[in-house]
Amino acid sequence: MEAGVISRGGGSGIPKRSPRARLADPAFRWALTAMALGLVALIVYFFILLIVKAEPTLSHVGVLSFAFSNNWDFGGEIFKAWPLLVGTLVTSALALLIGVPIAIATALFISELCPRRMRIPLTVLVDLTAAVPSVVFGLWGFFFLAPKLQGTAQWIADRLSFIPIIGGGHAAGPSYFVAGLVLAIMILPIVSAISREVIATVPLDHKEAALALGATRWEMIRMAVLPYSRAGIAGASMLGLGRAIGEAIAVSYVIGGNATLIHHIVEQGDSLAATIARSFNEANANQRGALIACGLLLFVLTLVVNFVARYFVARSTRALRAPPAAEPVASGAV
Amino acid sequence: MKSRQWLSLIACGALALGTAACGSSSSSSSSSSGAGGTKSSSGGGGGGTVNGAGSTLAAPVYQTWGSNLSSQGVTLNYAAVGSGAGIQQWTSGTVDFGATDPALKPAEIAAASAKGTPVLIPTVLGGITVSYNLSTVKTGLKLDGATIANIYLGKIKTWNDPAITALNAGTKLPPTPITVVHRSDSSGTTQGFTTFLSGYSPTWKSTVGANKSVKWPTGTGAQGNPGVAGAVKQTPGSIGYVEQAYALKNGFTYADVKNKAGNFVAPTLASTSAAASGAKVSPDLAYSAIDSPNSAAYPIASQTFIVVHQDLCKAGTSQAAAKALVSFLNYGLGQGQQVAQQISYAPLPAPLLAKAKAAVSKLTCNGAPA
Repeated sequence: MEAGVISRGGGSGIPKRSPRARLADPAFRWALTAMALGLVALIVYFFILLIVKAEPTLSHVGVLSFAFSNNWDFGGEIFKAWPLLVGTLVTSALALLIGVPIAIATALFISELCPRRMRIPLTVLVDLTAAVPSVVFGLWGFFFLAPKLQGTAQWIADRLSFIPIIGGGHAAGPSYFVAGLVLAIMILPIVSAISREVIATVPLDHKEAALALGATRWEMIRMAVLPYSRAGIAGASMLGLGRAIGEAIAVSYVIGGNATLIHHIVEQGDSLAATIARSFNEANANQRGALIACGLLLFVLTLVVNFVARYFVARSTRALRAPPAAEPVASGAV
Repeated sequence: MKSRQWLSLIACGALALGTAACGSSSSSSSSSSGAGGTKSSSGGGGGGTVNGAGSTLAAPVYQTWGSNLSSQGVTLNYAAVGSGAGIQQWTSGTVDFGATDPALKPAEIAAASAKGTPVLIPTVLGGITVSYNLSTVKTGLKLDGATIANIYLGKIKTWNDPAITALNAGTKLPPTPITVVHRSDSSGTTQGFTTFLSGYSPTWKSTVGANKSVKWPTGTGAQGNPGVAGAVKQTPGSIGYVEQAYALKNGFTYADVKNKAGNFVAPTLASTSAAASGAKVSPDLAYSAIDSPNSAAYPIASQTFIVVHQDLCKAGTSQAAAKALVSFLNYGLGQGQQVAQQISYAPLPAPLLAKAKAAVSKLTCNGAPA
């Protein structure tokens, strides 16, 4: 039957399909669209659900007061989550400050400096770090890292006591600092893997040109590799930041659980996600509402981070595409 | 990157859905009817499946009882979600029994009464030990409520403080600074401990109070019993409070604590059981074991209950599950008391045990004895 169709349609040169075969394409398209829309609907549903469940708390405390006032007393049911929001931002920022340079260095080493034979084993090893469950990082941080670092942290804090927040204070075992350090290790694999991919896209011509001009390895990396991949690395860091913001379990172990506004980074604090993870089990109705409101705040924070990440990625593609695209147009005009 | 947040959000959403119904009594019908259809229906063979949720304190006991009963065809699914969540799940009908450390509050009784008379059945007792890390004093450190409160308030800063040495005549205490360790997660253990401190220190009561999570004036936060125990173990000069079963099982150091009668008592199973003998038990078997007037009682003890409805089947439990639940309770109050001691939980004293058994014998299924 199909052969008949083909022979009859032979005049036009394009074989005609049976109605059933023609159906497959739109069906496939609709199925994919439905799935994609389903995902969007799920996100919207979560957002609405969070708002509905958080509404009693938010209307009682006030949205701005909930997010930006400083008084979190979970047991006493006073829910003003500014200390938690700041804690989340501080630990995430620490994670980026410590983690991103190491991640970029790792990526540069693997793609530019290390012997070819070691490249794949090292890549696998770094990527494997991503598979370690976060609770393992948390336990390791609490039982091993925190007590070992307490003395060092106190020493550094004393030396830097002239800087507010960064220095000074009485070092506790668990602290913002330890949480930031553990998060830095946790974001390493994702930031490093994406940076590596971005660095791999640097055209060989650029690198060879730099070397041909007499640049050393380091100058080549600084002049050819880093500028080309800068925006992509920024995007990778944003993804790492997203992970750091949302991490609950590991942070809940190593941050100490003291919901007061940060005084010194070597002291204990708390974060939004850690509070949710730690308190949900034993929460009453009011407390649960407050925790869901924390979840909403985290959701909004993550959305903001996502938009920032998109902005960076978009800017990077524009910055990279623009100069080569401009040249042909210019030459065409001439 | 997003999966983590999504997980927590999903968990928030799911829990919120599951428990929102208990928040307001009027909206509970949709959630409870949806869940009621699925529960306890998997009980095959001669026995039945019982679903329970609640107390983390008693979870090891119930899980051991359940696994010991599995040979008799009784399957127990127990979720250690915490006392508050357990009561909520039981009230909304998603589980056959709830497990709670504090007795039901009037509001909780009112909410649960929609499905029949709630029955409170005491099961075992637990305690909270005050553990410490002093290389020179391995055992037998003596402390009282006011002193512990002042340590946790940050007023007593070293181990050779006069307040501590006065309680420990003859023991040489080092000038080591005290490192306070407390739970960072929300927990019934914290509630028991802070309730005890509130009873002995007006300052504690007015500034910190008794709750599952409080604003600690000082100290290091650690998660769960293992977290506190680990922090105490690795920090010389530290003090922390740990659930008794955990401390006994792991051979932990603990202080003798002064009870209401003025005796310093070590947290043993016998002294924890004794806490229930002195306590005032109301007709519905509600009682509190904290700071018992009994002269042999360890003061920081905690009672724990299983809550069910008087008529199990009318409340939505299937007949097979009701039978299984009653045999679970009978086992727990019989042979189970011995089993509980093996995992370092204190048994009920005989008079209270008899009352608990009587309460179980009155449970019914559609009017007939279950």
